[in-house]
Amino acid sequence: MVDYFIPTTLIDTLEFINNNEAKIISGATDLMVQRKKGAEITPYFTKKPVFVFNIKELNFIKESYEHIHIGACTPVSDLLNHKGTPSLLRKSIEVMASPALRNLATLPGNIINASPAGDTLPILYILDASVKIETLNSNRIVKVKDVITGPRRTILNSNEMITEVIVPKEEFTKSDFVKVGGRKADAISKISFTYAVKIKENKIIDLRLAFGAVGPVIIRKEELEEKYTNIELSKFKELKQEIINDYRQYITPINDQRSNKEYRKKVALNLLGDFIDTL
Amino acid sequence: MKDISKTIKKVDSDDKSSGKSKYISDYKMENMLHAITVRSKHQKAKIIKRTYPVLKEGYYIIDHTDIPGVNFVKMIFDDMPVFAENEVNYYLEPIALVVGPDKEEVLEIVNSIEIAYEIQIPTYEYTNSVINYNFTKGNIEKAKKESESEIEYTYNTPYQEQLYIEPQGMIGYFENNQVTLVGSIQCPYYVKAAVVSILDSEEDYIRVKQATVGGAFGGKEEFPSLIACHLAIAVHKIKKSVKLIYEREEDMETTTKRHPATIKLKAYMKDNKILGISSNVGIDAGAYIGLSGVVLSRALIAATGVYTIDNLAVNGDVFITNTVPNGAFRGFGAPQMLFAIEMFIHHIAKDINVEPLTLRQSYLAKQNDSTSTTGTFRDPIIMPEMLEKALKESDFIRKEKEYKQENSLKGIGMSWFLHGCGFTGSGEATHINAVVKLEKDKNDLVTILIAAVDMGQGVKTTMRKIVSNILDIPIENVIYNHPDTNLVPDSGPTVASRTIMIVGGLVARAAKQLKENWIDRNYQIFTEKYKQPSYIKWDEDNFRGDAYPAYSWGINIVEVEIDKNTYEVTVKEGWSVYDVGKAIDEQIIIGQADGGQLQGIGYGYMEVMKAVDGKIQQKNVTDYIIPTSVDAPILHTYLIDNPYPLGPYGAKGAGELTLVGGAPAVALAIEHAIGKKVTKIPVTPEYIMELMSNE
Ligand SMILES: Cc1cc2nc3c(=O)[nH]c(=O)nc-3n(C[C@H](O)[C@H](O)[C@H](O)COP(=O)(O)OP(=O)(O)OC[C@H]3O[C@@H](n4cnc5c(N)ncnc54)[C@H](O)[C@@H]3O)c2cc1C
Repeated sequence: MVDYFIPTTLIDTLEFINNNEAKIISGATDLMVQRKKGAEITPYFTKKPVFVFNIKELNFIKESYEHIHIGACTPVSDLLNHKGTPSLLRKSIEVMASPALRNLATLPGNIINASPAGDTLPILYILDASVKIETLNSNRIVKVKDVITGPRRTILNSNEMITEVIVPKEEFTKSDFVKVGGRKADAISKISFTYAVKIKENKIIDLRLAFGAVGPVIIRKEELEEKYTNIELSKFKELKQEIINDYRQYITPINDQRSNKEYRKKVALNLLGDFIDTL
Repeated sequence: MKDISKTIKKVDSDDKSSGKSKYISDYKMENMLHAITVRSKHQKAKIIKRTYPVLKEGYYIIDHTDIPGVNFVKMIFDDMPVFAENEVNYYLEPIALVVGPDKEEVLEIVNSIEIAYEIQIPTYEYTNSVINYNFTKGNIEKAKKESESEIEYTYNTPYQEQLYIEPQGMIGYFENNQVTLVGSIQCPYYVKAAVVSILDSEEDYIRVKQATVGGAFGGKEEFPSLIACHLAIAVHKIKKSVKLIYEREEDMETTTKRHPATIKLKAYMKDNKILGISSNVGIDAGAYIGLSGVVLSRALIAATGVYTIDNLAVNGDVFITNTVPNGAFRGFGAPQMLFAIEMFIHHIAKDINVEPLTLRQSYLAKQNDSTSTTGTFRDPIIMPEMLEKALKESDFIRKEKEYKQENSLKGIGMSWFLHGCGFTGSGEATHINAVVKLEKDKNDLVTILIAAVDMGQGVKTTMRKIVSNILDIPIENVIYNHPDTNLVPDSGPTVASRTIMIVGGLVARAAKQLKENWIDRNYQIFTEKYKQPSYIKWDEDNFRGDAYPAYSWGINIVEVEIDKNTYEVTVKEGWSVYDVGKAIDEQIIIGQADGGQLQGIGYGYMEVMKAVDGKIQQKNVTDYIIPTSVDAPILHTYLIDNPYPLGPYGAKGAGELTLVGGAPAVALAIEHAIGKKVTKIPVTPEYIMELMSNE
């Protein structure tokens, strides 16, 4: 029989994962699919499952002057209903899975699942979002982009839990998220592209771009963003081909059951080109 | 007299929407055992040795050595074994069944079974033809000789997965000295015949009952016979109840799908006229023939679609490959052929610089024209009236012109199609011989005794409606339970768009008998048997004569827009006009139309399923993408009555018709939008990118 734990407080959870080889289960929308053995058979777990959905103190959305703080156990659908949710984040959640899934899925789940096709990830990357990681005796705040080290790989230790996602509040002149899936709802991204730009007096003063599902992790290149910042908008447009060429080498998609690499690469660059044209 | 088409509430909608309906996986029986299938790990191999673990008490491994009869699934050809014996011919082919009380332990036993194989080289190419059919009409040699040019195209169509919501499943148990099987099935008597054969038993040793079916689309026509055989062998041996439910991935990887096909069409042309067409069709059966011969013949008979072409040469092959066997799927060979012929007529028109609509109209079949098999379209064909309606409602002609000039990525496409109702050829008379009964008890409650299965298409409602209307009694006084072979006669399988037209026709006749002879408060029973109309003549060997007793007709128009950056297709709106004779219930036909058209459109632009090295790649609902409600366009459906004299109230087939035109309509719309010829489906963004970059 699998030993499991359904805590109602954070402290109990941290104690349990400190003292046991445990696996945190939040919305379970990734885990139960990955670990299923078949109908009427207990899913496969080598570590003790800890079901965190009853921890009320981690189900919240709070705003400070500069940040929005999202409790780890907040289903993403709550973010759709919350007024202050950054518009990019809202956009990515609107096209994530289906309503039933969104009532269960959480941001930490999306982050720790660490799929290059995770839809909130490109957004969390370009918004410079962080997570609060806690253990029984310590806590640290780490940028989302530094949490994920590879496909399905993160820096999280087994005695650690994400308790909060922290997203800076910022106003952009223009921003968007484009998801390319196999259909208009309930599809895993073949490619995604997001951008957020600040323009002042016809000058680009802040440029952020990210691509999903076209490499082992989300692709955001801060050095390239810097290279094309502080230039006139018209000049920026003239540089279209150069910008595309600069990004081209980082777009390294694969062939799989959902699409092929030629398509993924071409569409990723088309979206980049279209962004430049229509800015 | 009430109009039968007026919609009533579906009789099973409350039970289905409230969750009261019991599907097969909801059944629990006392001391029930669970079964899991042991499967081949290779595409083609000899089985050298099996090493079974020592089993705890109460656990069993069932394999070919337990079969009392001959080791074949009884179908048309005896080529598919129930359990592989000395060789396997596709990846995941069933080899044995492990049965026991704890499913987790059953799974462990399955995983511990060792099978030694001698691996052989599999074939995936269309090289091994096991069935060839060919026929001609008119004089193709003369047409060839007189022609001045030839136009040739090759069209390719893919797998399509039924993706019924409820995976395959069945429960078997032993009761009253009968092996009883309850399942999610379309054809109780097919299952019974297969089990009688595998157990080599008396007919009355087997009982087959239908559970509520959560979708089928042809996928539960012949495939369940295989599961039934596996279970029946186990129940016959163990004499306990056993449950076998497929996991979704198991279902998608191992059950029958729509046959992939390659269709080569060549037109012999003179003065912009089509003198004749030769068609070459290859379909991929997978590892065993199954129903592929019948699927091929339906495809071949549809060789000219709705057009009258005087001279024809039609040739087709069923190829065996080392892949999962393919089988029945709504449309049954016709969707492949209709896609090809609809694209072809369009491509011919473009090549000779004639308006496609004009070319279509000049070959559109008329009443008394000769069919592709030199039979006769006996009944009125109202396509011109349907066309007028379709063009008007969709504003097709204006849009067609405008979108082309605008140089936009908008497109509109139209398909014309027909579907032969009932079994191909004289199948109804020679193979099926449907029998129906109507029984009235002393309380004047009337029970319909037929083997037809309601799988969501609404026959529970429509059959009751026919009977209550004829007898002029409340619909609540008409009973129609899930078929049970101990209780109902063999009215044939629930397939081939035959249920309302053929079975419903017989039920209507029985109802009329009862009405004429009605005696209050008396038990009465009336039986009706199928009789082939005498004017229908079919020469099966030469594909000559009337291939079907009647045809339903349709027009689909679909409008799309393509994203210039991502090549994604948005299907914006659809218009359809159908002639199904007479709708027994308008809402039910609209349900068939919406679902069927969406399934056809999905086949045309979205649904990707591929086998790589004999293994299906898209094996769950995340990876096998079908349209959701968000993808579904607004669909406008119009029905025009054209009563068929032998159908109940004039009704003809409707279930398959609504699917077969979807793919060519959406493919032509995309072709129109991008200005490039489309020759294969699905027209995915990946394929559109390829076409658009071949500037
Ligand atoms: C049908 C379907 C459609 C889907 N569609 C999409 C889609 O369109 N876009 C998309 O991005 N995703 C999609 N997903 C994937 C999934 O829903 C998301 O990744 C979701 O965000 C996972 O959240 P969860 O809470 O359910 O994670 P879980 O399954 O509970 O956990 C996932 C991983 O995160 C870890 N974890 C969870 N919470 C914490 C925590 N607080 N601290 C530390 N570790 C934690 C778990 O241990 C596990 O390793 C889909 C899934 C399904 C089943």
